[in-house]
Amino acid sequence: MSDDVKCEAAKGGEQADSGKRRKFLRQGGALAGAAIMSLVPDAIRQGAWAAGSDAPEKTEIKVGFIPLTDCSSVVIAAVNEFDKKYGIKIIPTKEASWASVRDKLVNGELDAAHVLYGLIYGVQMGIGGPKKDMAVLMNLNHNGQAITLSKKLNEKGVKDGASLKVLMDKEKREYTFAQTFPTGTHAMWIYYWLAAQGINPFTDARTITVPPPQMVANMRVGNMDGFCVGEPWNNRAIVDGIGFTVETTQGIWKDHPEKTLGTTAEWVQKYPHTARAMTAAVLDAGRWIDASLSNRQKTAQIVADRSYVNTDADVIVARMLGRYDNGIGRKWDEPDYMKFFNDGAVNYPYLSDGMWFLTQHRRWGLLKEEPDYLAVAKKVNRIDIYKQAATAAKVALPKSDFRTSKLIDGVVWDGKDPKKYAGGFKIQVA
Amino acid sequence: MLKVMIVDEVAERAELLQAVLVKSGYEVIAYVTSTFDLYRQVGALCPDIIIIDTDSPDRDTLEHLCVVSSDEPRPVVMFTHDGDVEKIRAATRAGVNAYVVDGMSAARIGPIINAAVARFEQFQALKRELEDSESRLADRKVIERAKGILMKSHSLTEEEAYRAMRKQAMESNHRLSQVAQQVIAMAGLLLT
Repeated sequence: MSDDVKCEAAKGGEQADSGKRRKFLRQGGALAGAAIMSLVPDAIRQGAWAAGSDAPEKTEIKVGFIPLTDCSSVVIAAVNEFDKKYGIKIIPTKEASWASVRDKLVNGELDAAHVLYGLIYGVQMGIGGPKKDMAVLMNLNHNGQAITLSKKLNEKGVKDGASLKVLMDKEKREYTFAQTFPTGTHAMWIYYWLAAQGINPFTDARTITVPPPQMVANMRVGNMDGFCVGEPWNNRAIVDGIGFTVETTQGIWKDHPEKTLGTTAEWVQKYPHTARAMTAAVLDAGRWIDASLSNRQKTAQIVADRSYVNTDADVIVARMLGRYDNGIGRKWDEPDYMKFFNDGAVNYPYLSDGMWFLTQHRRWGLLKEEPDYLAVAKKVNRIDIYKQAATAAKVALPKSDFRTSKLIDGVVWDGKDPKKYAGGFKIQVA
Repeated sequence: MLKVMIVDEVAERAELLQAVLVKSGYEVIAYVTSTFDLYRQVGALCPDIIIIDTDSPDRDTLEHLCVVSSDEPRPVVMFTHDGDVEKIRAATRAGVNAYVVDGMSAARIGPIINAAVARFEQFQALKRELEDSESRLADRKVIERAKGILMKSHSLTEEEAYRAMRKQAMESNHRLSQVAQQVIAMAGLLLT
C-alpha cells in the first residue's frame, strides 16, 4: 500500500508545483483524483471484459510466491499493471514454504503460484504427499540459481567439484548438502551436480531440505557443507562471508527450466480465460524485465522490498545484471544470467522440460515405477493455454515442443527416449 | 498412547496446546521452537504425529522426511488420506498442519487436530486484537504528524488541518490514516 501512496502523492506533487499548493491541499483535489483512479478501474474493467466471449471468468486472482529473485515477473505483472491490460488483477501472495504453496494450490486457496517445476510434477505423481492433477502454464525463468559451498571447505582447499570429491574421499565424515524441496528443482540440480563429480548424493552424503531464507543462517552455524538455492541467497552467503559459489545452475544446464506459473488442472478447466489472461500478463512482465538493464535494476529495487524478497537490493541486482563474483576471487560477466523472457524462449512449456523432472525423480527413486513420461508431460504442460496467451501478448512460438540440451556431464537430453535416459546414469538410485 | 510433537516458533502457543493435549491424555514428547536440526529430533523422538504451524517455513524440511522415509511407518501428510476437504481447509485456515504416521485412523487423529485448531484460533484472535490496537496507535501517530505538517506549511490551525484531511478522506473514500500518510509522503517531496 505504501508504494501506491507514494505514487499518488508524487502525481499530486507535480500539480502542486504549479503554485496552487495550498489551495489544492485544502480542497484535496488531486488526492481525490488519485483515489478515484484506484477505485474505479475494477468496476469498469469487469464490465468491459464481461462483454466479450473470452472474458476472464475470475478477475481477481491470488498468485502465491516464495521470496526469491525469480518471482519477479509475477510481482511486476501486478506492480506495473500488465494484469489490467488483460482484464484481471493479480494479487501476489507471499508464502513461507513450498509445502504451503502446494497445499494452497491443492485446496484452492491460491489460484496459481510461482512454483518449482519439479514440485508440480511431484504432486501430479503423488510423491510423498497429496496427488492431484496439476498444470504448468508457462516457465517463469531460465538460470539464476547456484550451488554454494561453505568457506570452511574452501579453507581445506575445495574450490570446485573435483577438489570437493578429493576432500570427501580423503577426510571421511558426514557431509551435508541442502536443497529446497524433495521433488523440486534445487534438489535435482545439486543431485545432478554431485553425481557429475562422482559423489552419490544419497550414499556418499546426507541431503536435507531447508527453506531458502534459512540457508545462509544454517550454513553460518555449521549445519551444512553446501546448498543449492535460487538467488539472492547464494550471493547473500558471499556478502555475509560464509560461503562461495562453486557452480551456477546455468553451468549445470544452460537455460534450464526452473520456476513455473503453476496451478491445478481443475482450476484451468474452471477458469481457462483467466488462465490465458494471467499467462499473457506474466509474459508481458517478463518481456519488460528483460527489455533493458535499467528495467532489471528497477525490478531488483521493487522485489527487494519487505513485502517480496526482503533483502538488500544490492544483493539482488548484481546477479540480475549478470555481474558474478564467486566469493573466492573469480569475477565475471555472466551471459547466461537469470532470464525471464528472452524473446519467449524462456517461457514455452516444452514437453521435454517437463519430462526431464520425471526422469530425475525416477533416477533418484522418488518414482518407484516407470511413468508414461510423454503422456504425463502432455497432460501437465498446458501448451494450448500458453499458445493462446502468447498470441494475445504477441510472443513468438517455437517450432517444436521439444528442445535439445547438453548438461554438465556431457549427456544430451532431447526428450526422445526418457526411459533410457532416466536409467542410463552411472550414479542413480532406481 | 500417541506420541505428539509440536513444532511452533511461538512458544506460548505451543505451551497452550501442549497443556491441553497432556490433559486429554496424549503424550507430548517435545515442543520445538528452534528447528535448526529438525531431522535429528524427529529421527530420535519418532513421533506418531507432528503438529506444525501452516505458515512455518520448516514444513519443507518435514516434506523431505515424508519422501525419503516413505517405506517406513513415518510421518506422511495427513491430508493424503483424509478425504474431508472442508475439515482440511478449516485446519489450514486456523494455521494448523499435521504430519502423521501413515495408516493411522482419522478417529485417533481427529481429537488432536481439533484441539490444535481450537488453540490456534484462540491464539490468532488474541494476536489480531493486539495488532488492531497497535495499528490504531500507529494510525494516531501518523495523523498527528500529518496534522503538524499541514499546520506548519500552510499556517492552519490544528482544527483546520484535521478538517482538511477528514474532508479529503471522506471524498476520496480513504481512511484518515491513509490520507495522513499521503500528506507525509508528499511533504517529503515538496518541503525538502
